[in-house]
Amino acid sequence: MSLLKPFSKLPGLNTANILLVEGEEQFQQSLADALVEETAFTVNVRLAKSLPLPLENEESRPRIDLVVFIINLTSELSFQSAEASLKYLDPGYFLGKVCFMVTNARNASVPTEQLDAVRKLAASLHCPLLFAEDQTPDGVTNAAERLMTILKVAAGLVPMATSLYLSSLTRCTVPLDIDQPSFE
Amino acid sequence: MEPSDSVGDLNCTMEAVTLSGGPAPDSSTGQKDTSPAVMLRIKQQMSNQCFEIAVQLNAGKSKRSCSTPEAERELPDYVDELERVKTNHFNSTLTLHRMQMWHAIGEKLKQNDLEAEALKAVSDRCMALCSHIKELQKESRDLQEGITEIQKKRLEMKRLTHEKMKEIEEQMCKKEHPDTEKYRAALEKGQANLEKYKKMTIMTQNVLRGILLACKVNWLDDPVLRDIAMTLEEFPVSD
Repeated sequence: MSLLKPFSKLPGLNTANILLVEGEEQFQQSLADALVEETAFTVNVRLAKSLPLPLENEESRPRIDLVVFIINLTSELSFQSAEASLKYLDPGYFLGKVCFMVTNARNASVPTEQLDAVRKLAASLHCPLLFAEDQTPDGVTNAAERLMTILKVAAGLVPMATSLYLSSLTRCTVPLDIDQPSFE
Repeated sequence: MEPSDSVGDLNCTMEAVTLSGGPAPDSSTGQKDTSPAVMLRIKQQMSNQCFEIAVQLNAGKSKRSCSTPEAERELPDYVDELERVKTNHFNSTLTLHRMQMWHAIGEKLKQNDLEAEALKAVSDRCMALCSHIKELQKESRDLQEGITEIQKKRLEMKRLTHEKMKEIEEQMCKKEHPDTEKYRAALEKGQANLEKYKKMTIMTQNVLRGILLACKVNWLDDPVLRDIAMTLEEFPVSD
């Protein structure tokens, strides 16, 4: 049972390590490229298709500050693989070191139940839910910026703010009428 | 639980790293400038991480068993408390910075060199502007008060005018009424009398005409009779 633990390794000096988990490996690469452009500190981006992570690089892998699950709303598989990967994450991560990112939320072919399901998942785990637009470079840059804000806090680079504190401010909430049919 | 042990060891190692000061010898990426700002930042980061780990440790210690709904209910209160404390801390930090700045400025002014001269000049100008501002504010306040007074008076005038107009209207209505009452009664009586006398006159005239015709008197020759007969013609014959 190889859980990914948040505090089992030393944190990197002036670095932030982020793990992007995406079932389909589409958005990961462009997002990673946008993320490493940060110059004030070193950003290490690790990509994975799902958890658990392979045991081979267990030793060489640095401590992961933030785990981002990228879910594509147009594919059911993406959501399921994200849900399955959640089991391999130590509970210590869910205090602000996990983030959900959703792409293709504006697509007309997406049923609203998908978005509601993702929302409920994020709300039950007290994690922030970000929406990203992955088709244009501007969208990728914006998504990277927002992730960077959360990453900086998770890596301890923002004085007076810890990821637990930030999570209490950014957690996803489910509106009370989510089970009502919407007027579309 | 074994994570807490490893976290405990980690804590000790972390403290060692922070206390030793300089950046640890890890894989250098080329941007290893050990300027004080970077060092301070790294130190901040490490203390932040230490804090997080300490929180985790403490969370493991107090094993208070409570249910999730209860925890959910208490969470907003704790978050509010946290917000309050953070705001207080921030305000205190601001005050502290202000005090430090003023102290530094004061010290500088005491030194009496070139920069102090510039500072003095700037502060004098500030004082002049502030007193000017105060004067202008006082003036504007006075003017505002004057305006308010005048507006109040105008309102009062309007109100009085309104009242007077109402009174006048009332008076006018009242005056017509009793006069027309008496008038009407007298008018009717007079008219009734007029009708009565008119009828009497007409009847007498008819009788006289009848007598004149019946007697077959030649009234044209006699001037007195002619006058009487002429007056008879003026009144219409009533039916």
